[in-house]
Amino acid sequence: MSEFGPVDEYKDLFENAPCGYLTIGSDGRITKVNATLTAWTGIETDKFIGRRLHQFLNMAGRIYYETHIAPLLRMQGFFNEFALDFETAAGERLPVIANAAERRNVDGTLLFTAVVVIKATDRRRYERQLVDSRSELQKGLATERETAELREQFIAVLGHDLRNPLAAISAGARILQRSGALQEHKHLRVLDMINTTVTRMSDLIDHILDFARGRLGGGITLSRDSRPLEPILEQVVDELRTAAPQRVIETSFELTERVDCDRTRIGQLLSNLIGNALTHGAADQPVHVGAKTEGGVFELWVANAGEPIPAAAMERLFEPFFRGEVRDSRQGLGLGLHIASQIAQAHGGRLDVTSTPDETRFVFKMPLVQPAS
Amino acid sequence: MEVLARNNVHMSGRGERAMVFAHGFGCDQNMWRFVAPEFEGDFKVVLFDHVGAGGSDLTAYDKTKYSTLHGYADDVVEIGRALGLKDAVFVGHSVSAMIGLLASLKAPELFGRMVLVGPSARYIDDGDYVGGFSEKQIAELLEFLEDNHMGWSAAMAPSIMGNPDRPELGEELTNSFCRTDPEIAKAFARVTFTSDNRDDLDKVTIPTLILQCSEDIIASEEVGKFVRSRIPGSEIVFLKATGHCPNLSAPAEVVSAIRAYV
Repeated sequence: MSEFGPVDEYKDLFENAPCGYLTIGSDGRITKVNATLTAWTGIETDKFIGRRLHQFLNMAGRIYYETHIAPLLRMQGFFNEFALDFETAAGERLPVIANAAERRNVDGTLLFTAVVVIKATDRRRYERQLVDSRSELQKGLATERETAELREQFIAVLGHDLRNPLAAISAGARILQRSGALQEHKHLRVLDMINTTVTRMSDLIDHILDFARGRLGGGITLSRDSRPLEPILEQVVDELRTAAPQRVIETSFELTERVDCDRTRIGQLLSNLIGNALTHGAADQPVHVGAKTEGGVFELWVANAGEPIPAAAMERLFEPFFRGEVRDSRQGLGLGLHIASQIAQAHGGRLDVTSTPDETRFVFKMPLVQPAS
Repeated sequence: MEVLARNNVHMSGRGERAMVFAHGFGCDQNMWRFVAPEFEGDFKVVLFDHVGAGGSDLTAYDKTKYSTLHGYADDVVEIGRALGLKDAVFVGHSVSAMIGLLASLKAPELFGRMVLVGPSARYIDDGDYVGGFSEKQIAELLEFLEDNHMGWSAAMAPSIMGNPDRPELGEELTNSFCRTDPEIAKAFARVTFTSDNRDDLDKVTIPTLILQCSEDIIASEEVGKFVRSRIPGSEIVFLKATGHCPNLSAPAEVVSAIRAYV
């Protein structure tokens, strides 16, 4: 007879296992508890026996035990990986992970329930921190979203509110012009200036609105058709020639196929690109504008001479509110290229730029046949 | 019908009268699995899940609507009307005792008898009133709920929600009777444990039976007696069953108490 016979070994394994054990009788009262659990809790064995498991938990755990764990145990016969907090004799919290399983007779009557308890102080703290940091992030995200939404609504409202007074100024200038009341060259020049400024202001507001619209979730919406695009392109170039009569804009359009696009938006894209070329290009050199359909691709480009775009600026060129170095009076919002690239993307195409000492060239390309989606 | 799908309503049994079983905070209609079948011989048995629990339609969960027990009571009324219930028996466990009570005030024609299993009109102590919990303890509970996610994961939700009765999901069904979106679980816990229906009790006109467990920490004997004293003409039966869920731990006792009353 060895001193460490099987019985003693099992007893030792039960008592001093690196986890807490307890068994609960069919009446819900604790029948056995091992030495590990009494050591962890500081609660003696005879204090456990005859009492209910939930009595050793904190109040939150008790409610949870009664509303979730006990029903589950009865319905599925076991539970695994439940987080619970024991209350120690010293009144401290002992965070654990618990598994339990019912043992039943062959006729289905409940014999007892075995519960295993693993000390999980660090694990539980870690999980708590994850939960906390997640809820912090969610709070931050919610605030951020709210702010962003307000900001964009503000821009949209502002855009609308700016249009009305501008329309009034424009109408006033038109009335003055038609009335013939202004005869002096100096006065007529003022009238021209008013009209130019109104147009410029109107463009700026359009940009703000497009930007706000693009950011308010919907993105830039297109209404496509296949009517000839060339007249629109011509019209845009003519407008800009009128606005900058001292500059030369040369065009070459070779559109042999129909382009399925939003013609107004493509016109806007071209207008923004030419406007950019006129602002930043060399004043004494022509701006070249071209469009063609070739190999299933529609291509539209605008090229100007002058100082190349600095490498640092190239990366941020299409970002909203990016502004290059120009005279204050020519300063825009920095939305023109951003909106142009948004229009390009909305068409399933892209806008690229190359800039060398010889030439700065923006190229828009889009497939003539839209991929089915 | 939309309402019946929303609340995962299941009907069985034969009989003229209906008996509606409502589950409480924690799990779902499976809580009645040992009790409801016993009444299928004499009653049309109606089981359902509150929105947010079990196999209910989670997309129907509306934070505002379900921020009070009235939202849940309105659902009970809708279910009752959809099924054309009249003079039915309402059996409500835990918080569903008060939900059924509110439903009966909204639509008195639906129910002819009410059985409240482990009811509490208010869980938090208030002056002389003993509910059994302090506000701090309930706040701790809400936090504690986040420590047990029941294996909930957003990716898994659709398979659980869409197929509550498919046993072949096997392992994934573990804990499913008591599993729900943690946000909803937390909100339901808040509504439940901060509810106060003490002023609604004396408006009840329907004969009411209270089943009171022993050693129930959620709804103590004192709380049960309070409910009994305020509902005019109500009766109380003290069960030998211990804990808060006699429908699972002592179904036979619950069945015979209900049978004796209805």
